[in-house]
Amino acid sequence: MTDLSSTVGSSGVASSAPLLRVTDLQKAFNGVPALRGVDIDVRPGEVHGLLGANGSGKSTLIKVLAGFHDADGGQVSIHGRELRSPFGARGLRDEGMGFVHQDLGLAPAGTVLEHMALDAVGDAKGFRRVDWSGERRRVRDLLERFEVAVDVDATIDMLTPVQRAMVAVVRAVGGQEKSTDADRRGQILVLDEPTVFLPRHEVGLLFDLLRRLRANGDAVLLVSHDLDEILQVTDRVTVFRNGRTAGTRETEGSTRDDLVQLILGSRDEHVAKGSAVVLDDRPPLLSAKGLTGNRIDGLDLDLHAGEVVGITGLAGSGFEELPELLYGARAARGGQILQNGEVVPRPTPAGSMRRGVILIPADRKGQGGVLGLTVKENMSLPFLTRRAKGFSIDWAGIAVQSQEACDRLNVVPANPDAQFGHLSGGNQQKALLGKWLDTAPSVMLLSEPTQGVDIGARREIFKLIRAAVAEGMSVLCATSDYEQLVEMADRVIVLDEGRVRAEIHGDDITKDALASAVYAEEAS
Amino acid sequence: MTTINPPSPATKKSKRTGSKRPAEPERFALIGVWAVLFLVFSLIVPETFPTTANISNMLGSQAVLLVLALGLIVPLRAGDYDLSVASTLNLSAVVVAVLNVNQGWNIWTAVVAAILVSMCVGVVNGFIITRFDIDPFIVTLGIGTVVQGIIYQVSNSVTITGVDRQLSDTMLTQPFLAIPIDFYYAIALCVVVWYVFDHTAFGQRLLFAGQSRDVARLNGVNVSGLRWVSMIISAGIAGVAGVIYAGTTASADPTSGAAFLLPAFAACFLGSTVLKIGRFNPWGTLIAVYFLVTGITGLQLMGAQQYVQQLFYGGALVIAVILSKLVKSRGERRRQAEVRPDVAA
Repeated sequence: MTDLSSTVGSSGVASSAPLLRVTDLQKAFNGVPALRGVDIDVRPGEVHGLLGANGSGKSTLIKVLAGFHDADGGQVSIHGRELRSPFGARGLRDEGMGFVHQDLGLAPAGTVLEHMALDAVGDAKGFRRVDWSGERRRVRDLLERFEVAVDVDATIDMLTPVQRAMVAVVRAVGGQEKSTDADRRGQILVLDEPTVFLPRHEVGLLFDLLRRLRANGDAVLLVSHDLDEILQVTDRVTVFRNGRTAGTRETEGSTRDDLVQLILGSRDEHVAKGSAVVLDDRPPLLSAKGLTGNRIDGLDLDLHAGEVVGITGLAGSGFEELPELLYGARAARGGQILQNGEVVPRPTPAGSMRRGVILIPADRKGQGGVLGLTVKENMSLPFLTRRAKGFSIDWAGIAVQSQEACDRLNVVPANPDAQFGHLSGGNQQKALLGKWLDTAPSVMLLSEPTQGVDIGARREIFKLIRAAVAEGMSVLCATSDYEQLVEMADRVIVLDEGRVRAEIHGDDITKDALASAVYAEEAS
Repeated sequence: MTTINPPSPATKKSKRTGSKRPAEPERFALIGVWAVLFLVFSLIVPETFPTTANISNMLGSQAVLLVLALGLIVPLRAGDYDLSVASTLNLSAVVVAVLNVNQGWNIWTAVVAAILVSMCVGVVNGFIITRFDIDPFIVTLGIGTVVQGIIYQVSNSVTITGVDRQLSDTMLTQPFLAIPIDFYYAIALCVVVWYVFDHTAFGQRLLFAGQSRDVARLNGVNVSGLRWVSMIISAGIAGVAGVIYAGTTASADPTSGAAFLLPAFAACFLGSTVLKIGRFNPWGTLIAVYFLVTGITGLQLMGAQQYVQQLFYGGALVIAVILSKLVKSRGERRRQAEVRPDVAA
């Protein structure tokens, strides 16, 4: 690499010249914009927080930088060198960026040394011998320098969660070390929600490591949902909202209210809700008693006819797994599920469907429908036995039924023979909704129902759900999209570490109220 | 096969050009290549290739392979490999011969017993695959080898000849319209498999289980039960193929069954590039089987050596897999192209 100090100088004071500068970056998926033009700059020697609600574009930005997606427009420069998307499969790794994703990307059976050596060997040619003793020395030095006390020969599954996270961080930083050890350039480390799976009391250890990196002249871009963490460890923070940069602040002097304000935007948005909650004397359609899953911890919940119950929280708080637990798609560790006051002995998806409980999963492409099959085939699945003549499927009847559903729900194209994967996200979701509504369910469990759905379809989906509820259905909607809860839910339950932290009713459901309940401080 | 799905009449609300199903002429490509191949061989070796005897021989000789492949597409549709089908075929043939010749059983009792024994192989495969959640590739590879061992044991590693003529009579020696009867059995099975795949709930559930286990599971499909049953069906049909094999040769040897494994896979994968692209389907499999034998027979009549079989089957399998990959990525691009104009609108 050439000496870059002269080019760096042009963009400002040398010491605060950004290591990474992103300008007006854009990216859309199937016509739904995820990044409408974001700007962010990360300076050497800082921990930079990246905040934003779900769908604000944080992960899309990371995925563009890491080479998962190609950007549609905008610039990225590193060390003052201008780069254009596509960045290729390795993203910007060769330019001095390291990535640590939420799942850390470590193989449980591999040793620390093997993981680190893999990176060093990665670009070696052919069958060159791996210098194991040299690698061992290098890795030991690296871990020692960052004061990470783990045995290089320990396998990953022997480490504690925080040790694993720290190994992943040092690995990402150490990856490029050897090439530039003489004149070391600062590196940019991107951490995508690294603390979600960490025990609270150990998070501090990881943050100490980040501070040591900062002292080393490197930069850290920390993506997080957690305001406390951001306030605790970052120097500056950038907030994304709806695919745009809402602002960048010095962390010192910022309050959590300032940040919540930035995340949510204007405060005056308030949409009037339709019907109030109708709680009658009948037993709830579906309820949970002491339900315990991987994250959910002893939850009690009642779903009544005619109400939409929202459930939300931070990532990892357990709200994501509730629909699958209630549906029987995921085995509960404890507790009971009751329908109409009677205990359901062993909930399974097939059993739930028979009892009129249905689930629309968040992962539409992986779990909701099969992209390679037609809309009609996708819609036929719950009706294969119901719509049978003798041994034979009544394809004509199914064709008519799916045509009607497509027309009724305004699926575009209204062609049941179209391939499901060719539809936009919103139309896929409407088709799935139509399929399930045709089974006349009494309880509908939704998981992020409007993720990747454009505004127009989103409105239609809300309307459909409210209409079904008005006829006596009960809906549970697990989502981190506050706007959706404001528009749709009759009451919202906020979870924290698997337990109910707050319950908000009717007109009290506002984005502010939700945000302050979700981001409320630990001790509350 | 669109005739069974009546094209939806009212698409007035169709706002996107992409809603029209692409014509996909690739669906018929293999049939075209087959016709060309047939024509070319007829011109090059007119005295031996386009003769009734040769055509009848080509049709009849492939019945065992076709039946085996039709069984194999059942687990393939459910997303599972069954590498034990060839050994199961061999086991079935050997059981028929041992029970009938060595033990003096009635031939039909022996046939029923052979098919039941074959189904047991599927039961074991399915049990291990679903109970312990192990890759079917490994399980059926192992069980297939175990079955091969059992074959050597029960047959004493020798070829058993002298199977009751009744079996041969119903398979081979009394042709109908100059074509051996076993060909018609294979066609009948093809109709049955087609009906089950396209017109029964079981067939559709298999399809969904193969395309996405999660989607199937969340729609109330008993995925592991279905996978288990599909292994039993493929083993049972392999047993039927073994019976036909024993009938056509009136004997059973402990080794020759293994030679059917690769051709069966080649036919299934090549068949998935015909008629219904990307899906294992019985008529496509039928076309693939006869396409392959046409090529091999033609080359052999032109004087090619025996090894041309391996070249042809092996090559066809690899090319079929490449083709399905290419067709798939073409579909992706088409989808992209369709989505863009919609964005602008």
